[in-house]
Amino acid sequence: MRIKDLGNRPAPASILELFSRVVRGRGPSIQVQRRQVPYWQERRWTLNGNRYTGTYQTRYGAFAGDIAQHGANDIEFFLYMPSDEIRRHSHWVCFQHRGNDWYLVHMGRCPKDVSSGILTIERLITEAFES
Amino acid sequence: MKRLSVVVAGTGQIRDIEIQTGTTAGDVLNQLALKDYLLSKGPNDPFFAAAESVYDKVKDGEKIFASTKAEVGEPALCG
Repeated sequence: MRIKDLGNRPAPASILELFSRVVRGRGPSIQVQRRQVPYWQERRWTLNGNRYTGTYQTRYGAFAGDIAQHGANDIEFFLYMPSDEIRRHSHWVCFQHRGNDWYLVHMGRCPKDVSSGILTIERLITEAFES
Repeated sequence: MKRLSVVVAGTGQIRDIEIQTGTTAGDVLNQLALKDYLLSKGPNDPFFAAAESVYDKVKDGEKIFASTKAEVGEPALCG
C-alpha cells in the first residue's frame, strides 16, 4: 500500500475564514452619511461673531485671510501679506492697504455668501501664480 | 450617463444629479434652480460658461461646486 493515513488536523485559520465568508455571504452594507458643510467650514475657517478667520487655500500655498460680514450682502474680504505674484496681477489695484500688511480685496461684484467669496479669492490667487 | 454631486458652496447642501452627453452648465443650474450661481470644479479651475458642456469635463461621481457670482473689481467700479 502506497498511502498511509496520518489522521486529521485542523485547517489553518485563513482557510476557515475564507470558507466561512463564502457560507455567510456579504453582510448588509452601511450607508455612510456625507458631511454637508459650507465651503468655509470645509476649508477650516473659524467664525467668531461676524468675523471669519482662516486661509485662502490654493495649490500654490495657503494665504492668511479675514472676513467681516456686516450684513447679508455686505461682506469684506481681507488678505494678509499678498505675495509678489498677487501684487503683479492685473487686479492688484483692487487691493486696498488697511495697515499692518492687511489688504481689503475689493469686490466689483459681491458674492452673496462668504464661501463664494473665498472661492473667488482662491481662484484669483491661482490665476496670479499661473499668469 | 454620469452622476455628479453639486455642492452649493454657501450652505454645503449636496445635490445629486445625473447628466447626459451635451448637458451644459446652464442646464444644470436651471434644473437645480440655482439662479445667479456659477459652476466650477473648484478654486483651481475656471468657472464653466453657461453654454459649456459639463459632461465632457467631469468624471462619473465627481463633486463640483456652485457658488454665487463674484468678481474682484476696481474700487471705482464698485458701489
